[in-house]
Amino acid sequence: MQLMAETAAPRFWIQDKLLMGFTPGEYLRSLLTPFNAVAGVILLVGLPVIAYRYLYGLGAATNLSQTNPWGLWIGFDVLCGVALAAGGYTLASTVYLFGLKQYYPVVRAAVLTGFLGYFFVVVGLLVDLGRPWRLPYPVIYSYGFTSVMFLVAWCVLLYFTVLFLEFSPAVFEWLGWKNVRRRAVKLTIGATVLGVVLSTSHQSALGALFLIAPRKLHPLWYSPLIPVYFFISSIAAGLTMVIVESMLSHKIFHDETHPQRAVDLDGITLGLGKAASVVLFTYFFLKLLGLAEEGHWDLLNTAMGSWYLVELIGFVLAPCFVLAFAVRAQNANWVRAGAVLTVIGIIVNRLNVAVVAFNWNVPDRYFPSAMEVITTVTIVTLGILTFRWIVNRMPILHEDPQYGTEH
Amino acid sequence: MMPNDIFAMYAAKVADYLVAVAFLLLFIPFWRFVNVPSAAGEIALAPVRRLLDQFAGWFVLPEHAYFHPGHGWARFDDGQFVTVGMDDFAQKLVGDLSAVSLPAPGSRVEQGERGWSLTTPEAKSIDMLSPVEGTVVAVNERVVASPEVVRSDPYGDGWLFKVRATRPRANQNQLLSGTLAKRWMEEATDAIQRMISPELGRVLQDGGMPVHGIARSLDAEKWDELCRRFFLTEVRHARGETF
Repeated sequence: MQLMAETAAPRFWIQDKLLMGFTPGEYLRSLLTPFNAVAGVILLVGLPVIAYRYLYGLGAATNLSQTNPWGLWIGFDVLCGVALAAGGYTLASTVYLFGLKQYYPVVRAAVLTGFLGYFFVVVGLLVDLGRPWRLPYPVIYSYGFTSVMFLVAWCVLLYFTVLFLEFSPAVFEWLGWKNVRRRAVKLTIGATVLGVVLSTSHQSALGALFLIAPRKLHPLWYSPLIPVYFFISSIAAGLTMVIVESMLSHKIFHDETHPQRAVDLDGITLGLGKAASVVLFTYFFLKLLGLAEEGHWDLLNTAMGSWYLVELIGFVLAPCFVLAFAVRAQNANWVRAGAVLTVIGIIVNRLNVAVVAFNWNVPDRYFPSAMEVITTVTIVTLGILTFRWIVNRMPILHEDPQYGTEH
Repeated sequence: MMPNDIFAMYAAKVADYLVAVAFLLLFIPFWRFVNVPSAAGEIALAPVRRLLDQFAGWFVLPEHAYFHPGHGWARFDDGQFVTVGMDDFAQKLVGDLSAVSLPAPGSRVEQGERGWSLTTPEAKSIDMLSPVEGTVVAVNERVVASPEVVRSDPYGDGWLFKVRATRPRANQNQLLSGTLAKRWMEEATDAIQRMISPELGRVLQDGGMPVHGIARSLDAEKWDELCRRFFLTEVRHARGETF
């Protein structure tokens, strides 16, 4: 496709940049794939469901109630989305602050994942809040200095801006705006520092939201250390999400990558896997520390306690050892398996905190409605389609030949 | 505070400290575990490492051989007997051979003096220097009959002749081995690369190994330069080419 764009006669900008060199007819025919068919069905069903939610309200579209005000949209779309989008700040700090340039090949994709992750977190939040025109209120109208939610709102806004600044060089390279791109690159280090500070804030702040509900969150999951848990686990989530994303991207978008990238990816995967295993090891002992501090060992012998042990041992300790053994054996495929297990573990943890272990002892237990599930699947599908659109056009998995190794 | 509360508080603190101490004690071995490749991985990689260690730049450089700067090699066998041959660089540089002229059994060779001659299909004849001194006790008839053996296995079946060395230890001290030999061979590779691309300087070829008969891709002037430079000898053109 790129060769066609380079060697054919001069094209209109839209055909070249947006349609990847195809004519409109060719482009539409290229969309006829099984994946697009499934995605199309999801959007055809999901977008009207989202519209229904806005027209008829939360009560009509969800199983949320006064007892259970937070459900799948907050638990998965917001909490999991923010945790799994942490690859942006972890990889940016790895490459630009710690100087580990060997991870540069995956930093742009990680920043893009973070950027789109936070964007669709906001989309999910807007679907849950229901009055999207009030989104700017924490910034311009209703401050709420005593609210953790105020901190989260500001941090997400600022960090989203930072992510756009980190991602913008790829956009300007695609547009061919060399001077603007040069200025954007100069902002990278400052943006990365700000990104780390902001991420430390809002990743832990999302955990701090639960500090004000000690009796609602199950004692095994509740701890004064919950902000620390959220922050540390976000590092593991970010590192493993980059491993999973790069594995999928290089399989699906292999024609976008330079052949040599396939050789480097295993080394990058092993390095990230080692870091993730160390973080998970630390996180496991922090969880044990919280358990020891609260002294609720007796609760481990209950049904919720068994589920807590499944989360702690099956989705923290087990992936930690899978990653450690895989790194030691220099087996990148096993690192990828460990990364997938870790990502699942992060999702399990966030859903446990927000849904499963929240209001665990009330008779009116929450279970997501079909419309909530459809909405979540629709938002995730939109995220994947947007990621694909950008990767197919912009220099994300490969470097723009005009700029080479200018970093 | 009730006694039960104090006990509970101390029990919690003891548990805290135990967890913290356990973490500190276990972290170091865990860190060492993830930083050291496994024995299985090491074993799996060992043949690869051994193979890679035998390469210096583009050329094979086995551990057991000692190298003369003129690109002959010597293997010091039992006692005073030394096996002699031409190294991988020499056979790749020269390429196809039509004949190899070896010293006769019973004749004497001197270290750094003419040891044997190579003749190419283009009737170019190149002398190579002997890496050791002594009396020739055996020649490799297989190489005389089929010179291409040198190309396929320069360090094994492609040996040229055996010598009863008069001063094996002294000869050995004059030859290159190990890291020195590897560095010397890498410098030779660099020099070849610069000759291939003199305008560009040293460039990184796009992977792959050098073509067989590197010098054939160069013109006659560079062929002479290569011989003088690398084999430390002069090129003699066969009769019929000079006029």
